[in-house]
Amino acid sequence: MNIVLLSKQFSDGDAISEYIKTIAENLVDRGHEVRIVSFDDGSYYSIDERVDVLRAPMDFDGDNLYNWSMMMNNELKGQVMQNIGDDVDLIHANDWTTVPGGVALSKQLEKPFVLTVHSTENVRGFEGEYAEMISELEWQGVYEADQILTTDEDTKNSVLFDLGAPDEKVQKVDPYEGSWPETVLNKYQELVKQGKKVKN
Amino acid sequence: MRPLFITWEYPPYKAGGIAAHCEDLATTMASQGHEPVVITYGDERTSEVRDGVQIHRVPASNSATNTLSWSMHLGHEMEKKAIELHKANNFDLVHAHDWMAVPGATGIKKTLNLPMVFTVHSTQKGRDGISSNYQKTIHDLEWYGTYEAEEVITVGREFSEEVKHTYDVPEQKVNYIPNGVDLERFDSHSENLNRNEYALDWEQIVLFVGRMYPQKGPGHLIEAMPHILDQQPEAKFVMCGSGATEHYKSIANSKVGNKVHFPGYVSDNELMSLMKEATMTVAPSVYEPFGIVPLEAAASETMTVGSYTGGMKDTIVHEYTGLHTYPADSGSITDQVSRGLEDPGWSDWMGDNARERVEDNFRWEQISAWTTGIYNQAVEQRS
Repeated sequence: MNIVLLSKQFSDGDAISEYIKTIAENLVDRGHEVRIVSFDDGSYYSIDERVDVLRAPMDFDGDNLYNWSMMMNNELKGQVMQNIGDDVDLIHANDWTTVPGGVALSKQLEKPFVLTVHSTENVRGFEGEYAEMISELEWQGVYEADQILTTDEDTKNSVLFDLGAPDEKVQKVDPYEGSWPETVLNKYQELVKQGKKVKN
Repeated sequence: MRPLFITWEYPPYKAGGIAAHCEDLATTMASQGHEPVVITYGDERTSEVRDGVQIHRVPASNSATNTLSWSMHLGHEMEKKAIELHKANNFDLVHAHDWMAVPGATGIKKTLNLPMVFTVHSTQKGRDGISSNYQKTIHDLEWYGTYEAEEVITVGREFSEEVKHTYDVPEQKVNYIPNGVDLERFDSHSENLNRNEYALDWEQIVLFVGRMYPQKGPGHLIEAMPHILDQQPEAKFVMCGSGATEHYKSIANSKVGNKVHFPGYVSDNELMSLMKEATMTVAPSVYEPFGIVPLEAAASETMTVGSYTGGMKDTIVHEYTGLHTYPADSGSITDQVSRGLEDPGWSDWMGDNARERVEDNFRWEQISAWTTGIYNQAVEQRS
């Protein structure tokens, strides 16, 4: 399989980075190809050298995280289309910050789209000027995803009840349980076999 | 060619000049055998073909608290539509209009791997500055658009220089293509003006058309009004446009009473009749990258008194198609408007010259051909 993992950042110590790093290393151990695509914040990262890491620079600061993320996703799409192209079996985005990229790439390449929701705006308190728009993106990601993963029960409930995801599309995979990467890999295999399900 | 236009407004949705520009350009391209497709904003998802142009509308978020994030979200929706359309029939390139189209157009460029052309109609710096973080972010988006585009089009000659300097764009990437005017629209419209609503029989209409904001300079004209009337009592000022109308109306009324008229909303047809009827239009803009008013007036065989700034340096030829004033100078406006009113034969002559000049230089057929020439350059660079 050729898997693309999208993340807002990729650096040591960051929870989402460690999450995708574990998935990526398990994949290469089993002979699969993995590309991690993230914004290049210049920070340090370490990973098995068989994993391709594409970090995109961006000359746009934005006035808040929402606007910044929307433009950053354009850079992620550029990295994927220029360096990987059609050679992808599945796109896996993480949280709302990579939803626009994940959705667009999965539509363009017609490949399954997995979204891990690490937390939701509802769980975080729905505060600030952009909460509503962020929540809309989360809803869209959940709506467009072929498979939603959550890392804990609270988030799973929020995805089900706040974002209205159908029960059968959501699975909690706790990254503190020993064999969790294998669960994710099996899910990938199942999805790649089925091909893109959700079409809108 | 099959260009994809990305614009936040397309008629009947219309706030500024971009909508009319895109419609005229796309319609002309279609008549010349190209296949322009427009993706733009709409309250709901619709698709139609009008005058040979495919128009697709996508809705934007209702939760946006400002225009920036609104356009970010709209851009994402536009991109999804573009992906769908591109699968059925490939685009040759994406053409963005002003900063609100930049998020969508750059996303489309990257996902569909298309060349990009970016038309800059005005700059944030020129509109109202870049002092706040919000304004700075818009400025940065404009920069980003010029950076990502293979070719940049600007609508004014002097404005080209401004764009080059403001965003540090390489010389050879910036192209000047003026706006055009649809002469047929002015020639074929049915004149149905009730002149009495605007002026008395013996009065001469001095017309202002534009949004009532400081950038367009209505205040300078209002300041000049009593002085013009001292010299030319037959002048009657008609101020058309949206914006801070009430503000300017109360100032103007206190200065010249019923010698100024603010008609409020005026239909396109009525406006064209007014332009034909007016002795002159006045464009007292302080900042004007292009300025369509002098060309529309010219199409109506009416001269324009306009500031010597930006696009009007080119669209008005002093003492031939109109008269130039110093920008933001009510004394200069007084002098030139009075000169025009003083000699009706001369102002008619200038109106006729203006018409002849737009016929020769500002036709959409010509502008469309220049634009597709730029498209070819952009496509070649990517191949």
